[in-house]
Amino acid sequence: MPRPETTESKETAVTAEQPEAPHDDTPPTRAGFGRVLVAVYGILALAATGRASYELATKFSDAPLAYLLSLLAAVVYILATVALWRGGAWRGVAWVSCSVELVGVLAVGIASLADADAFPASTVWSGFGSGYGYIPLVLPFVGLWWLWHTRPHAAEEGTSA
Amino acid sequence: MTVPLTVLVVAASLALAAWAGWFVYRDRPVILRQLWGASVVEALLVVEAVVAGVLLAGSESVSSPGLFWGYVAASLLVLPFAAAVAFAERTRWSSVVLLLAAVTVAFLQLRMTQVWTG
Repeated sequence: MPRPETTESKETAVTAEQPEAPHDDTPPTRAGFGRVLVAVYGILALAATGRASYELATKFSDAPLAYLLSLLAAVVYILATVALWRGGAWRGVAWVSCSVELVGVLAVGIASLADADAFPASTVWSGFGSGYGYIPLVLPFVGLWWLWHTRPHAAEEGTSA
Repeated sequence: MTVPLTVLVVAASLALAAWAGWFVYRDRPVILRQLWGASVVEALLVVEAVVAGVLLAGSESVSSPGLFWGYVAASLLVLPFAAAVAFAERTRWSSVVLLLAAVTVAFLQLRMTQVWTG
């Protein structure tokens, strides 16, 4: 017979339940490994925002394209951080922002190798994010994998359709 | 920024990172004692910022103060964030976050030194 749930649930109970099946109150994109993902995204968002605002404030006219790209990267990283943190209705935003990052880092990475003259100043995404330990290259893959990994189970269309 | 203080901050944050790394290996969440350790590192960062402010108000100067203070602000933000995660996430993943935060603090010291000297 079912035991009545104790209202004062101990930390240990939470700990035992958390790892792979965080379903109730915590959005799955935030829990467990999601904390690490949000943390790394947050650090990168901070770095990109700081960099972009500094560049735009002090030397925008030197390389407008590169610095606007830095700004775009910063906005996308902030969006991804917030969306992965919120989960739920924000999952769509997370999918889009992670995809934009992936396209951005690949496109700018290739472009900065192929035509270095077009990128006189480096951006977060230059050289596939080599200035940031290639984290900008790896992160979108991990983010997309995590979104796929934590996808809602309701999406089993075989039985419903 | 002075060299001894920077070395102290790097050593303390790397020690904290090693401690957190051990907890990751042992599959344990962050404990309160580690957060006391993190607050020691944070206090050192505050002292460092104050020393830098006093030096810059005096004879010292850096070529890009905005950049320097940006790094100071960023380095002050990282550990409190990791502490918040430690309360919210009672699994080994909070230890991973603390490890990353401590390594980030050490790395930011490197960048701050580059900005200070260059």
